[in-house]
Amino acid sequence: MLTALLSCLLTFGAPPDTVFVRIPVGDYQVGRKGHHLNPLRKVHVNSYYIGATEVTNRLFAAFITATGYVTDAERRHNAMVFEPGLEEFRWLEDSTACWKYPNGISRGGITDKMDHPVTCISYADIQVYCKWAGVRLPSFEEWEIASRAGASTTYFWGEDTSQLSTYANVWHGHDHLRADSTDGYMYTSPVASFKPNAFGLYDVYGNVFEFCEGHLKDEKAVHARGGSWWCSQHSCSYFNSVEIGRVNAHASFSNQGFRVVKKIN
Amino acid sequence: MKLFSVLLSVTLLPVLAFAQEEGPWPEPSPESQAYHDYRMKLTTPPYGLEKVKTMISKAVSVGEEEGEGEAIRPKDYLTLSLREKFTYHMIHTEAYSQNCDATPPIIDEHKKIFARLPDIFGEGNWSIRQRDFLVSNRDSVLAIIEESANRSKRLGANYKMAIVEVNGLEMIPFLIEFYKRDYKDHDILTTLLLLMNGVKYPPFVQSTSYAKLYGPNSNYGAWLQYNKANEDLIFQRAMALFNSMN
Repeated sequence: MLTALLSCLLTFGAPPDTVFVRIPVGDYQVGRKGHHLNPLRKVHVNSYYIGATEVTNRLFAAFITATGYVTDAERRHNAMVFEPGLEEFRWLEDSTACWKYPNGISRGGITDKMDHPVTCISYADIQVYCKWAGVRLPSFEEWEIASRAGASTTYFWGEDTSQLSTYANVWHGHDHLRADSTDGYMYTSPVASFKPNAFGLYDVYGNVFEFCEGHLKDEKAVHARGGSWWCSQHSCSYFNSVEIGRVNAHASFSNQGFRVVKKIN
Repeated sequence: MKLFSVLLSVTLLPVLAFAQEEGPWPEPSPESQAYHDYRMKLTTPPYGLEKVKTMISKAVSVGEEEGEGEAIRPKDYLTLSLREKFTYHMIHTEAYSQNCDATPPIIDEHKKIFARLPDIFGEGNWSIRQRDFLVSNRDSVLAIIEESANRSKRLGANYKMAIVEVNGLEMIPFLIEFYKRDYKDHDILTTLLLLMNGVKYPPFVQSTSYAKLYGPNSNYGAWLQYNKANEDLIFQRAMALFNSMN
């Protein structure tokens, strides 16, 4: 019913990247039995609104226009990009890559991808965006509660990985030596291209890793969740509600983005 | 936020019933944990070490984050000798790495021969410039690795990564001889496997080991049971590859 309501709203013109979903105050189960970093536990959270989609290029462009902000990748010229043919977990530095050219100028810009999630931005960049927009990143727990949509399983639909292609833009090839567009997209897809979870959140798995607030053991690293278009079953199969990734706070990858939480006054 | 927002209220009730909370992942044995620590050790080259460390500290100081992703200043880099550059690349990473998650502790790690070398650089990784240095100077790099390993009696994870990076097939006899000094570092066997995989050596590609480690149904953390039969088979295949080159 909620999904139907959301579809109705989208049909009547509300851009999907401006839709927020209210998560009610309460006690929720997060984590997985026996998981070292994310053990099964209950947590209490206050009510919050979380984006139905990842933040898009359109929204980030509005921020840049308003502030003139220059991202880490634009200043440091050290964004990490992907092209087919790379070994597993291998990325290319591309001095031309930034949010406007997520995989470098030679691989195209975002002119026709304004409804895709913004990428090639760092955790540090996101902090500036959030301050401007009056939003914040979700905590680990807030992200997980929203992604689970009431489920206690690895995925919000259960444990069956064959349903991934219904809900998530991920990599279906065995490796990354050859391009894979099995699900229609090699890189990012427009937000809300795949089916949402029961809370009406799109792309909680795949598309882009979503940064969260908080630290685990390593206080230098920052963390992102949900996997990305790059992630496959064979390498980094962590497009789920359990795992927590890590990266340098100033690193800019073309599979990293974010979803925000709106403050409740 | 100056944008139209539609706020939806989720009406699902919070979870009120909870499964029993569980403890952490199973703890590996002390022997397994000790071997894990051994695997993760780097070899620090001695060549111009203090000079290089000073340059790295300067590079880090101009960055906003300590650690990875900072290259030393170009003018500093140009003053380094080849051996000093080798030291720099072995102890510092200029690019970033992305980690999906902390991997669970591996049980009986000392009894496994892995398909891949461990992730030793955390959120850092060698940059294209660093990889280019290794490849462009491969003969010197391999000679320095052999010299340094013999001196320190250790072939650190960074040295093994460098050997794989430059496709150092000529190191096969040295790797086997070095391994046989104490039969302890099974990642040397992994290095041999990676070298064979790198050139898709047909007798290896046709083997059941290959299917398990690198085949279509394998995953990144695949491994073989460590035993003498597997050890001997790896030696035999790697030497056959080496001999076929000459």
